[in-house]
Amino acid sequence: MEDNSLNHQNGSQMGPQAGAVGNNKQNEEVNTKSHYSIPGILHFIQHEWARFELERSQWEVDRAELQARIAFLQGERKGQENLKHDLVRRIKMLEFALKQERAKFHKLKYGTDLQQGDVKPPVIEESSEQGTDADQSYVQVTNSTWKQGRQLLRQYLQEIGYTDRIIDVRSTRVRALLGLNNNNGDHEENHNGGGGGGTGGGGTGLNGNESNKRASETQGRRTPAKKVQPSSLAEAMILDTEAAVMANLDFLSNTDVDMEDDDDMSDEVDIEQSDDMEDDVKLGKKALGDDVDAIALEVFNELNRLSEAEKKQDIKTEQTDWNKAIPKRPLGLGEDDNVDSSLGLGELAQLTVNNDAENTYEVASSKETCRKTWNAKYTLRSHFDAVHALAFHPTEPVLITASEDHTLKLWNLQKTVPAKKSASLDVEPLYTFRSHTGPVFCLAVSGTGEQCYSAGLDGTICCWNVPGANTDPYDLYEPDVLAGTLHGHTDAIWGLAVRGGAAANAGGDGQARLVSCSADGTVKLWSPHAKNQLQLNTYVSEQDGIPTSIDFVYDEPNHIVASYTSAHCVIFDLETGKPVVRLDPQLDPNVNAAARHINKIVCHPTLPLTVTAHEDRHIRFWDNNTGKVVHSMVAHLDAVTCLAVDPNGLYILSGSHDCSIRLWNLDNKTCVQEITAHRKKFDESILDVAFHPSRPYIASAGADGLAKVFV
Amino acid sequence: MSKMKMGDGSIILRRNRPGTKAQDYCRWPDEPFEEMDSTLAVQQYIQQLIRKDPTNIDLILKMPENQDEGVWKYEHLRQFCMELNGLAVRLQGECHPETCTQMTATEQWIFLCAAHKTPKECPAIDYTRHTLDGAACLLNSNKYFPSRVSIKESSVAKLGSVCRRVYRIFSHAYFHHRQIFDEFENETCLCKRFTHFVTKYNLMSKDNLIVPILEDENTPGESEA
Repeated sequence: MEDNSLNHQNGSQMGPQAGAVGNNKQNEEVNTKSHYSIPGILHFIQHEWARFELERSQWEVDRAELQARIAFLQGERKGQENLKHDLVRRIKMLEFALKQERAKFHKLKYGTDLQQGDVKPPVIEESSEQGTDADQSYVQVTNSTWKQGRQLLRQYLQEIGYTDRIIDVRSTRVRALLGLNNNNGDHEENHNGGGGGGTGGGGTGLNGNESNKRASETQGRRTPAKKVQPSSLAEAMILDTEAAVMANLDFLSNTDVDMEDDDDMSDEVDIEQSDDMEDDVKLGKKALGDDVDAIALEVFNELNRLSEAEKKQDIKTEQTDWNKAIPKRPLGLGEDDNVDSSLGLGELAQLTVNNDAENTYEVASSKETCRKTWNAKYTLRSHFDAVHALAFHPTEPVLITASEDHTLKLWNLQKTVPAKKSASLDVEPLYTFRSHTGPVFCLAVSGTGEQCYSAGLDGTICCWNVPGANTDPYDLYEPDVLAGTLHGHTDAIWGLAVRGGAAANAGGDGQARLVSCSADGTVKLWSPHAKNQLQLNTYVSEQDGIPTSIDFVYDEPNHIVASYTSAHCVIFDLETGKPVVRLDPQLDPNVNAAARHINKIVCHPTLPLTVTAHEDRHIRFWDNNTGKVVHSMVAHLDAVTCLAVDPNGLYILSGSHDCSIRLWNLDNKTCVQEITAHRKKFDESILDVAFHPSRPYIASAGADGLAKVFV
Repeated sequence: MSKMKMGDGSIILRRNRPGTKAQDYCRWPDEPFEEMDSTLAVQQYIQQLIRKDPTNIDLILKMPENQDEGVWKYEHLRQFCMELNGLAVRLQGECHPETCTQMTATEQWIFLCAAHKTPKECPAIDYTRHTLDGAACLLNSNKYFPSRVSIKESSVAKLGSVCRRVYRIFSHAYFHHRQIFDEFENETCLCKRFTHFVTKYNLMSKDNLIVPILEDENTPGESEA
């Protein structure tokens, strides 16, 4: 009845207007017929009433239609919610997989016992969290066995590639939803147009539409807050709600991930840095959230992209955080924790070799766009014990390694065996040099690459003819490979340097000159391929003790420089045998010289500059003419063990027992790149580094028995 | 990791710095196995025991508690192959392809070198080198032994065949270069340790252990020669 009366009122309201319109027309058209007949009026009213009834029924039909749509869309929303659960679950699964990965690496690192103690509990803890999180909306399940079973099931699903499938399912669903939504939009427009036509009465239709829209807007604005509100009237509003739901979905999944991340970090990483990463992640997420709020529709349309990106983003943020953590972590720690951290560091580096590379690339590119960064490419595994020294062939992609397992091995980087599951390549050795009866400590390759020299604990220098780069590893034994042995030192030999060879003229007779330094306190000069008189001279600096490392001075053909246990370095004249310059560290008398023990000395290829690597974590630069320190810097977190200058003299490579190698710009003495390369054996880690003299290779040798080549 | 605070607060760093004299090489205080937390702990521990007293075979082969047996066997075998280099170096000086044209121990078997695509009758010295090189490649293979803290069961099974092959180096040296063998054995006790090792972990059948190294114990002497 009310409806009716309303209609009547409507009718009466409309009546005069319509009447007025009709009146005007009739006035204009037929002015003379001034009187309405009663039947005519009645007929008009009847006619109008019928029209209104018709419209009313149309509206009712529309309303029914819209209600059907609402029901449909509500169903759709439920579907979305399920989808959300799927997404959340998938995220958890990914995280679980990540945990497992981490556990695996823990296992690698600490062995089975510690692994179970350290990693498993968090995993289980987390899994219980997972269980409740994911199922909160369904049922509150607190039964732990049920959860465990669920966990197990999840693992199985993961194993059979369920994750992949769920991604597919999700994307198809989203796509279907998207298509559907587009249809809705079209439909809506048509409908409105039809409605406008239906009302017929000129301006009123338009007005009605506008007010409708306004109403829907206000309601739409309200709905995101009360998303549970079931009924809404206009389609635009429904769209909004959907978008809001989707936005909420984003928030939900994001916050979940956020929390999980925090958990992860607190599990494994120390506090400072997890703070950092929290900030980062939250920032990112917030920005995302704002976007979603502002243009919910857009987000909805881009859901597909977003949700995929979301996945990547999550992984990426974690990765970058790890990478950030790598340089940061050791710095914030005390001496004792250092080792642990570097352990973790090694582990992380192992874990994300590629990411590491990416990160360093980014860092480098942000600083200087065209700088080359080095990435691990070849792993040389065949030594049974620490690799103590390595040297490249002057031109070929060939290198030789010397190890504590008493052997040297020859490697051709062009003969590789693809390693599984990694971007790096394994190389198998071409030849094994056997003659030493103790660990081999040092190695030098002649300028032609045809000879190499090695020495070690047994006090003998072996001169080798290097087999060709295409030798069959299982060829017959050629005793000629060992060209000769040099006897003269009475204790372990720790340093070798060679100059010249058949091609280059070093000593005036076209013969290679070899210098060696030994724990017997002497430095000796050899002519390794002479017919007689192999040993040419001996150099001793009584006041300085035992020489630790030796190199030729490149801008003075007749000079060599040796570092001593006194932390001094002495430049000798090869001819006279007399010290020319004594590089004085100007030691504080309170400082123990042993703390400044020099592990390695190298000369710059063009400048009168000597560089030394010290046990006290420093690298020092010396002026060969004045003998003074020109620069001194803390270069590593632990003893610096090895140095190499690139052939152009622009960069220095250093290695340390902190498990990392660092590349330094010689110009401004800044670290350009750090690579974690090897693991520790006792307290030793990296024992040698090298630049290829003519090709873009660098290499590191480690106490873990591996050598690595970076390109 | 192996840093240890001493009473006076100084830290022991177990490293050989350049310039270390041969007699001081690796002369640092022992580190308890429980305190070794690197991935190379087992190798460190074994080497520490050998350095201390190479004749104390029982102690060297005594596996620490909670140690994965596969890894224990694997690291021991690595150490054997590494130390066998010493025997190979000595053999290089005396075992020439002209005199030892085939890898033999007793007259019973000629061993074919498995390093080649089709096993070959390599001269003894080549057999020795190829076998050691092959063992180095296998034991360092990223495919079979990607980790040094856990080893797949299928890879552990490969250790037996490596043992059988490298043992032939001992037997060849014993039967053909007795002086080298005795000198080497006196210094290292390697063959004795190896024999105990493969017996203890059942990596080789007793029939194949033809070097009469356990004669002072209860093993058969030079029997099936």
